Amino acid sequence: MTGPSGARRLLDPASQPLPCGAGVDELLEQVADGDADRLTEHQRTCPHCRAAIAELRVLWAPVQEYARQPVRLPRLLRASVLRQLDRLVHDVWYTLQLTDTGAVRVAARVVAAVARDAASRVPGVRVALGRSTEAGSAGLVSRATTGHLHPHAAVGVLGRTAVVDLALAVSYGEPVHQVAREVQRRVIAELRENLGLQSVTVNVAVDDVAAEPADQQQH
Amino acid sequence: MGKVVAGGSRGMGQDGEVEGFDDAYLVRRAQDGYLDAYAELVNRHSLLAYRVALRILGHHQDAEDVAQDALVTAWQQLPQFRGESSFSTWLYRIVTRRALNWISRDRRHGSADVLPELADSSAQADIAFERTETVGAVAAAIQALPPAQRVVVVLHHLEGLPYADVAAITASSVAAVRSQLYRARRALGSALAEWR
Repeated sequence: MTGPSGARRLLDPASQPLPCGAGVDELLEQVADGDADRLTEHQRTCPHCRAAIAELRVLWAPVQEYARQPVRLPRLLRASVLRQLDRLVHDVWYTLQLTDTGAVRVAARVVAAVARDAASRVPGVRVALGRSTEAGSAGLVSRATTGHLHPHAAVGVLGRTAVVDLALAVSYGEPVHQVAREVQRRVIAELRENLGLQSVTVNVAVDDVAAEPADQQQH
Repeated sequence: MGKVVAGGSRGMGQDGEVEGFDDAYLVRRAQDGYLDAYAELVNRHSLLAYRVALRILGHHQDAEDVAQDALVTAWQQLPQFRGESSFSTWLYRIVTRRALNWISRDRRHGSADVLPELADSSAQADIAFERTETVGAVAAAIQALPPAQRVVVVLHHLEGLPYADVAAITASSVAAVRSQLYRARRALGSALAEWR
C-alpha cells in the first residue's frame, strides 16, 4: 500500500476499516495532530496500521508545510487600523490659538503624544501611556467649558487649556512620588514650550512597577 | 498641577509578557481610554488577524479588509471584553466571525488567491506565501472545503489551537469541532491524494 493509489484507497468513502479493524479517520487524526510517532501497543506490532500511518504521514506532510509557511503582514495594515481609530476618537481639539494670520489647532492626540514622550524621558519611568480620548478628566473639562467655546472652534475646543492623563509604570526601587512629580513638571514645561499651551493640568497615575530591562541592570 | 495616584504592582516574567507588559495589562489600560495601549495590542496581534483571515478567505485584499475591520471592531467592543479568555482568543473569535460574514456576503466568490500576485513584481515585497506547487495544492484544497470546516482546519491544523479553544472561538462543542475536523481531513486527504 504505497503511493497515491494507496492513499486514495484508504480515503475512499466506500473503504472499509483496515484488516485489523482500525479506522482510517482515527489514524488520520493521529497523524494530522502530529502523533504519528506515538504508536499504541497494537500499532507497534500491526503491519496494517504502520503501513497506513506511513502512507498518511506522507499524504499530510504538505498541510504541515503549508502551516509553517511564513505570512508577512501587509505594510499598511497596522497604520490603517490606527488611522481608523484616530478618526473615531480624535475629533475633539484640545487647543485653538488665534493669531493675526489665522487659527492654529492642535489635536488631542498630538498633546498626548508630546506629553507621553516627555514623561518617558524622565529617569525611572518605564512606560508612559497618554490618554487622549474624552474619557476621564478630559471629558469633564470638555463639558465644563462648553459654554465658552470660541465661535470658530469645533466642538470640544478648549482654547489654551489642556488636561492630560498619564499612566506610568515606574522602575522598581525608584521613589514613585518624586518620579511622578518630575513627570508633571517636565510634561507641563514641554506642552507650554512646544505647543504654546498656557493652562495645563497633568494627572499622573502610577499603576505599575517594573524591573529595569536586563541590558540596563547593573551586574 | 494635577493629581498623582499610585497603585498596583506586578512582577516580571509572566506568560505572554513582552518587555514586561502583558496583554491583560494593555487591555485594562485600553479599556480605561488609553489609545496607545490598544495601539500596542494592534502591533502585537495584527499579524494573527491577517493570517487567519487570509487562510480562511484565500484572498489577500479580502483578508486585509477583514483583519482591519476586526481590529477596529475589537477596539469598539473592548468595554464588553471581560477577560474570561485571552485577548488573542477573543480576537480569533472576532476575525473568524468577520471572515464567515464576508463569505456569506459572497464577495469575490471563487477568486481564491491565497498565493501572492506574482504577475505584479512590485507586490513581491509583500508576498505572504512562497508559491510552490505543494502549498498551492493545499491552499486550493482548503478553499474547497465548506466554510465551517475551513475555519476549524485553519484554527486547529494551521494555527495549532487545541480543540477546546476552537470550540470556544466557534461557539460550538468539542464534539462538534471533532466531527467537523473528521470530515474536513477526509476531504483534504482525498484532494491531496488526487493531486499527488
